[in-house]
Amino acid sequence: MLFFSFFKTLVDQEVVVELKNDISIKGTLKSVDQYLNIKLDDIGVLEEVRYPHMSSVKNVFIRGSVVRYVHLPAAAVDTALLEDATRREAEQQATKPR
Amino acid sequence: MSFFGFDPAIPRGGGHPDKAPGFGAAPDPFAGISQHQGTGYEDEDAIDFDDTYDGLGDQLDETNDDLNDATFGGIEATTSTLSKPVGKDFDFHGQTAKVSNVINEEQFRYNRQHVSRKPQNLMKQTRPFKTGYEAYENPDYIPDLQVDVSSKGQTRTASGNVQASQSSSILSAVPQAAPAAAPARKMMSLEEVETAMRAQPKKSASVLTTQGRQQSQTMTYPNIPSAHAQHPLNVQSQSSAPVNLPPQQLSYQRASQNRVPLIPQQVLQAELPGQSVPNTARPGDAPQAQQRSQMIQQSSSQESAPHRQILQNPKRQSAQLAPRPPEPPLPPPQQQPRVFTTGAMGASQQLPIITHPQQLMQLSEEDRNAFLLEDAKRAKRNHKIYMLSRNNGLMTPQDKNFITRIQLQQLMTATGNTVEQDPDAVLSEDFYYQVTSQIRGGARQNPQQPLSNFAQTYLFQTGSRHGGPGRRQNRGGDNHMQRMEMQVQRAVEAAKAKPKNKQLVIEGSLGKISFSNAKTPKPLLNIKRNDSHDRPQSAGRQATSRKVLPAKLSISGRKSILRNIEAVYSTLMKMEDHERRLPAAPANEEQMSVAHHAWQEVMESLGQKLWDDLKVMDPIVEESSILHPFIAFLSYPKGKKAIPRIFRLLDEEKRLTILTMIVVHLNILDVIQNVQPGASGFRPSLVAREEVELFSQTVMPSLFAYVNEAPLQIVIGLLGLIVSRADMQVVLRTKVGLNILTMLLSRAELVKQSQNPSDQEWNQWVNLYNRFFDVIEPMLGIIFPGSVHDGQEMYVWQFLAATGIGANPDQQQRLVVAVKDRVMETVVQSKTLPPDMASQRLADVNLFMRAIGLDVDLLG
Repeated sequence: MLFFSFFKTLVDQEVVVELKNDISIKGTLKSVDQYLNIKLDDIGVLEEVRYPHMSSVKNVFIRGSVVRYVHLPAAAVDTALLEDATRREAEQQATKPR
Repeated sequence: MSFFGFDPAIPRGGGHPDKAPGFGAAPDPFAGISQHQGTGYEDEDAIDFDDTYDGLGDQLDETNDDLNDATFGGIEATTSTLSKPVGKDFDFHGQTAKVSNVINEEQFRYNRQHVSRKPQNLMKQTRPFKTGYEAYENPDYIPDLQVDVSSKGQTRTASGNVQASQSSSILSAVPQAAPAAAPARKMMSLEEVETAMRAQPKKSASVLTTQGRQQSQTMTYPNIPSAHAQHPLNVQSQSSAPVNLPPQQLSYQRASQNRVPLIPQQVLQAELPGQSVPNTARPGDAPQAQQRSQMIQQSSSQESAPHRQILQNPKRQSAQLAPRPPEPPLPPPQQQPRVFTTGAMGASQQLPIITHPQQLMQLSEEDRNAFLLEDAKRAKRNHKIYMLSRNNGLMTPQDKNFITRIQLQQLMTATGNTVEQDPDAVLSEDFYYQVTSQIRGGARQNPQQPLSNFAQTYLFQTGSRHGGPGRRQNRGGDNHMQRMEMQVQRAVEAAKAKPKNKQLVIEGSLGKISFSNAKTPKPLLNIKRNDSHDRPQSAGRQATSRKVLPAKLSISGRKSILRNIEAVYSTLMKMEDHERRLPAAPANEEQMSVAHHAWQEVMESLGQKLWDDLKVMDPIVEESSILHPFIAFLSYPKGKKAIPRIFRLLDEEKRLTILTMIVVHLNILDVIQNVQPGASGFRPSLVAREEVELFSQTVMPSLFAYVNEAPLQIVIGLLGLIVSRADMQVVLRTKVGLNILTMLLSRAELVKQSQNPSDQEWNQWVNLYNRFFDVIEPMLGIIFPGSVHDGQEMYVWQFLAATGIGANPDQQQRLVVAVKDRVMETVVQSKTLPPDMASQRLADVNLFMRAIGLDVDLLG
């Protein structure tokens, strides 16, 4: 849930989503769900020349499983808090009965 | 037209271009609506086709066709279709007949979806002259085998139970019997209508429209085969009688008839008697009367009846659905009511119930107009309802129930047992988001609320939608809500009761199969961790890495330090959590002592644990190669970052201890050791500089905060420690070292000015200061980092200022001599810089100059 929790805070931020098929899509994150499916608005493909068919697409829904990376806006990330959240998550995982 | 492979027979109305003579002549109240619903599909299609066929084909340039033969291999047919009659060898219809089958099917399908768009204009005056055989004049006409369901419904209902009792053996005989029984009492035959129409051709033009509509109701099914067509009278009589049935009733009756679902052909047969039966039955008239009364009953609620019924009368709905024949599904029930309401709605509007065109005729002009307007409105409304409810009934209530249950179940498992979960658990689930949105002043005031009340929220939303703006606040809606609530409750119960079986281990497989839920998307493989494997692995790694990095901290050392840091953090977070749980200020002292005592105890034990985790009190081993654990702690960024949070939770004594630890180990602090300038203008690495930056931002403010409150004795003690223990040469050349010294020196000066320390204390300080000054004086030349051009020396001037303030005149003199060159260089250099930078540099220098009673301006 950490990632879900994290990405939720990035809603309305501009992110670049790099897909496993090498397309990088820049857009405003509209929503994300627990599968880390991503909805982007006002999108643009970073390499317009290579993917001209994407130039007319304005918003996308990306299945979480096809995402390779999400480039984050550094300013929107609270690192200290994220560290703590990670610790909590780890603690939870550790205490959780397996 | 057949050029394109269309069977011209198919748009049934389309074959009759005379479809609406006089239709447009009079004001047509349905003009606007007719597009949506007034016209049938066929009719619409016909209009489209004729209207849109702009004769482009005729404009084709045919003049240069001479060479076509050469071009197309002498195929005459292409041109001959245009000019000559079709030859027998060109079996056009035979071929298109195949297509027409498909088209017929399509059409039927379409009809089913759009039955409400009843063909209504087709009939008109042309109708009477039809024999019903017209279609068959077209040699290739293929009768629509799928009986038009709407007519089926009508006949069925008209005949009602009467028919049910009749055995199907009669059926074949009925067509002959029908004409005899045909003249219905209330019915006006088409001929009569015609006469009436001719009698008042102008006035009734609009009336005719209505009339036409009603008649066309049944009559537009010319391809209901021969039996139908054979008895025009029958057709006419049928026109108005069955019309008045509400759909529920239709289906209801259909359901009540214990008829076997019919396949189309059977339907076809059954239809025949169906059409005639009403006539035979009518003398008794019972069913009709009954229908009429029902109709009136329902007329008031008619507008929403069709779909409300579907929404809220599941039983009836399912009863209606149950006997549905397998392949020709019934028309959606809401398709009929429009026709029927033509009469029915009138009742509610204080207009006479018009069940028959003749009645319309008898009305006064005003009433008629009013009626027609009413009718138009109604039609519009019905159409809207129809559009809204188009897909109603696709799911049975059971289906909906099922889906709802799945959704609720999902919600329950998604949030776990929300009821039992304490807010902390929820918070920790979604910690980052919750806290971040709180920090950023997010919309939610209470982060737990939306989650823990998820089910209620969900309900509430649907509830508000249901409650609507006053429209459907009827009993049914409430019931629906109640049922939903019940369901939610039951789902909650079920989710609680159900033991959570999260994994499935298949025997002999490597891993477990985990079931996913919303919260924990399925981990694909969950391999059991084997603890015994862990140790040898890490031991091996240790061994190898030790070989590689003999000089650095051993991995185990590094690991244990990191582990220490994590331990500190986990305790820290527990303390912070616990802090949040401080019991609210109780009403009286007694409660206070109980609740707070417990809280305090926990807090203290945690604080003690934190202190132990920090390992500040570990014995200091002189000349040891192993870094003191606390200093090691500080050598990691996250260790540094922890300091401000830790300081907040520690008492004065422990803070002092930490400060002392740092001061004692000043030499070996990473932020001092790693930034020592080398012999040849060595620049500390980026990482080291970042560490320094981080230290200044995290640790220093905490220390400052403490020292700023500290009494002179402590300042003396700390400075004494530095002077006696630290390697000044190392300390003085670093930013952190100078900052700490500045901190102490300025604090002493502040204490002197504000608190009037005792002479003894002050003398002690002066002595120490003198010692300190003597130590640093020879090194003042090297305290500046890099050259004068770097401009990174503000902290040095700060240090010099702090030193200068506390110095006696003699010492100030020596100070000036020591740094004079640098001052001059800076002043000179500032003249070459842009004004703002120059003034910045001069201001830095002035910090020092003013401290000793000078000013850079004097040097100008």
